[in-house]
Amino acid sequence: MASSALTAVRVVRVNATLSLGVALLVVILASLALGSNPISPAQVVQALVDPTNDPDGVVWGSRVPRTLLGLLVGFCLGVAGVVMQGQTGNPLADPGLFGVSSGASLAVVLGAFVLGHNSMSAALFLAMIGALVASVGVFAIATLSRDLANPVPLAIAGTAVSALLNAVISFLVLTNQSSLEAYRVWVVGSLSGRGLDGLPPALLVAAVGLALALVNARSLNSLTLGTELAQGLGETLWRARLVGLAAITLTTASAVALAGPIGFIGLTAPHIARAIVGGNHFRLLPASGLIGAITLLGCDVVGRVIGGQAEVPVGVVLAVLGGVAFVAIVRRTKLAAL
Amino acid sequence: MFPATNLRLAVLALLSVFALAACSSSAGTPAPSATSSTGSAAAGWSYTDDTGATITLPAKPERVVAFADQALSLISYGVQPVGVFGRTDLATDPRFAGIDLANVKILGNAYGEIDLEALAELAPDLIITAVYPSDRKGTLDPKSPFYGMKDLEQQQKIEAIAKVAAVKVGGQGLTLIESNAKLAVALGADQAKVDADKASFDAAAATLSATAKGSDIEVTQLYADADGLYLVKPEDEPQTQLYKSLGVKLTELNPDGDYYWDIYSWENAGKAMSGDVIMISPEGFQIADLKKQPTFAKAPALVAGQVYPNPYTAMDYSAQAKAMDILTGYLTTAKKVA
Repeated sequence: MASSALTAVRVVRVNATLSLGVALLVVILASLALGSNPISPAQVVQALVDPTNDPDGVVWGSRVPRTLLGLLVGFCLGVAGVVMQGQTGNPLADPGLFGVSSGASLAVVLGAFVLGHNSMSAALFLAMIGALVASVGVFAIATLSRDLANPVPLAIAGTAVSALLNAVISFLVLTNQSSLEAYRVWVVGSLSGRGLDGLPPALLVAAVGLALALVNARSLNSLTLGTELAQGLGETLWRARLVGLAAITLTTASAVALAGPIGFIGLTAPHIARAIVGGNHFRLLPASGLIGAITLLGCDVVGRVIGGQAEVPVGVVLAVLGGVAFVAIVRRTKLAAL
Repeated sequence: MFPATNLRLAVLALLSVFALAACSSSAGTPAPSATSSTGSAAAGWSYTDDTGATITLPAKPERVVAFADQALSLISYGVQPVGVFGRTDLATDPRFAGIDLANVKILGNAYGEIDLEALAELAPDLIITAVYPSDRKGTLDPKSPFYGMKDLEQQQKIEAIAKVAAVKVGGQGLTLIESNAKLAVALGADQAKVDADKASFDAAAATLSATAKGSDIEVTQLYADADGLYLVKPEDEPQTQLYKSLGVKLTELNPDGDYYWDIYSWENAGKAMSGDVIMISPEGFQIADLKKQPTFAKAPALVAGQVYPNPYTAMDYSAQAKAMDILTGYLTTAKKVA
C-alpha cells in the first residue's frame, strides 16, 4: 500500500516535470516563431542556422534576445516570489515588497532628470543600483527593530521606503517632461528594445541570487512550520532571513533592471507551483521559476501578436491575464497554507 | 542618499534660478513696452477663434495668459503675455532661451498642472491655448478639454477666471501660422513686424522649396523609445504638412490608417529605414540608443551619421523661417544613402 502510494506520488512528479518541460519548449519555440513582423517559420529557421540570412535582423536582433531575457526575468521573479512568500509567511507577498521596484524606478527617473533623456543602457545600470540601494536601506531601517526573526518590521520598512521613493518619483515625473517619458516607458515592464548588453551583468547578479535562494530552501521549509518550530529544528533565524533577503534582492534587482517592474508573476507563479509540486521548497523553487519563465514568455508572445504592427508590452498583457488567472486560482484551489 | 541628492538638486535649481534672475536684471534689458493700443476701448473687442466661438470683451485684452506654444508666437510678434503655462519646464525649455521671463508669471511646467490661484491673481483679460483635432478631418471633440488642460472640470474653472481663445493645431501648417499671427495682431501686435517676419518666412520657404526640388533626399521624422519607432504622418502634423507642400520628400509609408503617428515595433523597424536624413525628437531614444537596436542599426541615415535633432518649433513666421533654413542646410549637405 505504502509503496504504491509512493509510486503514485513519483508518477505525478515525473508528469509535472515533464509537462513543465514541454510547456517551456513550446513557449520558447513560439517566442522564436511569432512576432509583430510576420516572417515565415521557414525564414526563422533559415536565420537561426545562418545569422547573415536574417531578414532585417528580426530573429537575432529581436526574438533571440527577448526570449533569453524573458526566460531569465520570469525565472528570477518566480523564484523571488517563493522566497518572499516563504519568508514573510504571507501568500499575497510580492517580490517588490522590500522596495526593490521603487528603488529601481526612482534611479531611472533620476537618471532621465539629470541626463535629460531616457537611455536604455543607462536605465539598466541605474535600475540595478537603485534596487540594491533601496533594499539595503530597507534592511538597515528594519535592523533598528533588533528583531530580525520577525518579518513584520522588514515589510513595514519596505512599504514605508517604497511610499517615500514613490512620492519622490511623482514629484520628479510631474515637474520634468523627460523624466515622465522615461518613467512612462519604464514603469509598464517590457522585453522590447532591451538588447543583450545588460544580460551578462544581470545574469551574474541573478546567479548569485538564485544560488542563495536554493541555499535558503531548507530554512524556508522549516519556516513553513512557524518561527518557533523552525528554531526548535535548529534554524538560526537571522541567518535564514539574511540569506532570503539577499536572494530576493538580487533576483528581483536583475529582473527589474532588465525588463522594468513586472507584476503578478512573483505573486502567482508560487501558487501554481505549489498546486503542482507541493510545498517542499527544494522542488517549489525551480518549479516556480520555470512557471514564471513560461508565463512571462507566453504573455510576451501574446502581446507581440495582438498589437498589429506595434506591440502590447508584456506588463500590460500580464496585468490583464494575470489578474484573471489569479482570481481563477483563488477560486479553484484553497490557497495552500504556507 | 536620495534625500541628500534631492536636496543638492533643489539647491542647484534654486541657485540657477537666482543666477538667471541676476543675469536678466544685470543685462538691463527693459521689459518690452506694451504694444501700442490705439484706443478702441469704446468699440469693444471681439475675436472669433478656431473653434468658431466668438469672444467679446469690453476692451482689447491687455493682460494675456497663454499656453507656451502660443506664448512663443505672441512674444515673437511683440505681444508680451503676463503669464505662461507649459507642458515642459519653461526655465530649461530651449525655445524660451533668450526670452526675458522676468515679468512673466510661470503658472505650470507640466501638462495639466496649472496654478489656478496664481492665474486668478494675475486677473487676465484673456487666456490663449491650443486645441488639437481628434482626427484627420479636423474634428474638434467637445468632450475633450483644450490642450494643456487636465480635464473639462479644470477648463471650466479656467473659463470662470477669463475667456479662453483656442488656436487649432492640425491640418495645414500655413493656416496655423496665419491663425497665430492673426490672433497676435488682434491683441495689438504691430502689423509691420508681422509683415517683416512673413517676408523672411517667404524667403526661407522659397529657398527650401528650390533646394527640395533639386534634391532627392528623403527625411524621416521620428520619436523612438523601448516600444519602437513612432513615425510622424506628414499630412497630419502641421509643420511636416508645410514642408511637404514645399516639396520636401518626407517618409510617408502609410498615409491612411491611424491619425498622426504610426508605431513600428523594433521587429518592424526595418520597414522604416527609407530616409536619408533622420530628424529625431529631443525626447526618448537618441542616436546612441538607436544604434543599439540591432533591427535599426543598419538604417542608412544612422550609418551615414545623418541624424539631426528635431526640436519643437513655435508656429510663428520668424521661428519657422529659422527652422526651414536649418532644414535647407540638412538637404544641401546630406548624401543620398537609402
